[in-house]
Amino acid sequence: APPGGGEERELALALQEALEPAVRLGRYPRAQLEVSALLLEDGGSALAAALTAAALALADAGVEMYDLVVGCGLSLAPGPAPTWLLDPTRLEEERAAAGLTVALMPVLNQVAGLLGSGEGGLIESWAEAVRLGLEGCQRLYPVLQQSLVRAARRRGAAAQP
Amino acid sequence: MAAGFKTVEPLEYYRRFLKENCRPDGRELGEFRTTTVNIGSISTADGSALVKLGNTTVICGVKAEFAAPPTDAPDKGYVVPNVDLPPLCSSRFRSGPPGEEAQVASQFIADVIENSQIIQKEDLCISPGKLAWVLYCDLICLDYDGNILDACTFALLAALKNVQLPEVTINEETALAEVNLKKKSYLNIRTHPVATSFAVFDDTLLIVDPTGEEEHLATGTLTIVMDEEGKLCCLHKPGGSGLTGAKLQDCMSRAVTTVYFKIHCILEKCMLMCHQHFMKNFKSMA
Repeated sequence: APPGGGEERELALALQEALEPAVRLGRYPRAQLEVSALLLEDGGSALAAALTAAALALADAGVEMYDLVVGCGLSLAPGPAPTWLLDPTRLEEERAAAGLTVALMPVLNQVAGLLGSGEGGLIESWAEAVRLGLEGCQRLYPVLQQSLVRAARRRGAAAQP
Repeated sequence: MAAGFKTVEPLEYYRRFLKENCRPDGRELGEFRTTTVNIGSISTADGSALVKLGNTTVICGVKAEFAAPPTDAPDKGYVVPNVDLPPLCSSRFRSGPPGEEAQVASQFIADVIENSQIIQKEDLCISPGKLAWVLYCDLICLDYDGNILDACTFALLAALKNVQLPEVTINEETALAEVNLKKKSYLNIRTHPVATSFAVFDDTLLIVDPTGEEEHLATGTLTIVMDEEGKLCCLHKPGGSGLTGAKLQDCMSRAVTTVYFKIHCILEKCMLMCHQHFMKNFKSMA
C-alpha cells in the first residue's frame, strides 16, 4: 500500500508531537531520529500502542530521554447512558460515538499528547475521559519499566565475554 | 583485534573463514540458518504467516476481496503480491515509494506464483465473467539480514496454506453474492515452491543462505525456486559473476534437498500444530 495516506499522516504527526517533549533533542544537534511504527494487526487503541512502543524503542536504543511516554486509548460507547471505555477493542472503537488517545509522561506527570474526535457531549465528559486515560497510563508504567530493566540486564549479560 | 581487522578489510576477514570451509557465524558453506515459522498469527487477515531465517524476518498477510474477473480471462481470479521493505527493517531503505529492491522482490514473487501454478486461478472464480476472488498478499520485512527472497517465498506459501475462504453463492433472483461465513474452506495449493538462494564469492565459491554482510561482499547472487516434484519454477540471477553449467546444476540439486527439508520437516509440522490448535478452540466454542 502506498505510504502517506491521510490517516497515516495525522497519526505520524500525533506521534511526533507526543515524543518530542520526552527526548533530549539538544543532545543530538545535527542528527535526525527516524521513528517508524508498523501496525501488524489493529485490535483497537492502535495509536496508543504505537506511542508506547515508539517511546520504549527510543529508550531501548539508548536515546537520552527525560521520561517515557505511555499511551492509552478510550472510546465513548453510545446509548442512553454514554460511558467511556478504557482500552477499547476494534469492535468497540467502530461502534463508538467518540474516541480519544492520551499520552502521558508518567514520572513528570505531564501530558505529552492528546488526540480525540467525535460527539462526546458535555465538556465534563471529556475531562472525565482524560482523567481516566491518565490513570490508565500510570497503571501501565510499571510493566514498561520492568521490561526495559529486563532488556538492559539481558544486554549486559550478553555483552560480558 | 579481530573486530578491527573486520572493519578495515572485511573481504580478507571473510576469505580467511572461507579457506577453512566455514563462515563467521559458524555455519558450513551449504548450511541454512535456523528457520522458524508461525502460522495464523494475524486474526484480521484471511491467512498469515511469519517466517524467520536466522535474523531475517518476513511477515505475510493475505486478504481476500471480491473483484470482476479480467475481460480476457473471465473464469480466473487474481493473486496480487506486494513486497514492502520499510525503513524499520534496515537503514539502507528510506520511507516513500517502493525502492528498486522492493520492486524486484515483488516481481520475483509474482513470477513464482505465475510459473509454479501454486494456485489454479480458475479456483478463485465464483461466477464466470461476473465475480471472482482477488488475493492481496502483502509481504513485509521486519528485519533485513540477507536472503529476503527465500524468506518471502516461504512466508507466502505458509500464508496461502493458512487462508480460509468462505463459501459464496450467487442468489439467482437478486444476482447478489451471498457469503456464508460459517462455511470456510482452505485453498487448493497445488504445488509447494521453495526458494534457495546462493551468493557467489570471488567468481567461484558458492554459499547458501547469505546473511546481509555476506550479500554485501558477494560478487553475485542466484536464487532457484523448485517445487516438491523437482520441477524448476523460477531462476533469478541478476547480473554478477558468471557461473558454469556444472555449478548451476550443482545448485539445482542442492535446491531440491532444501525443498524436502522446508516443506516436510517444517511446514507440515507447523500446519498440523495450527490445525490442532484451531480444532481445540473450535470444540471449546461449540
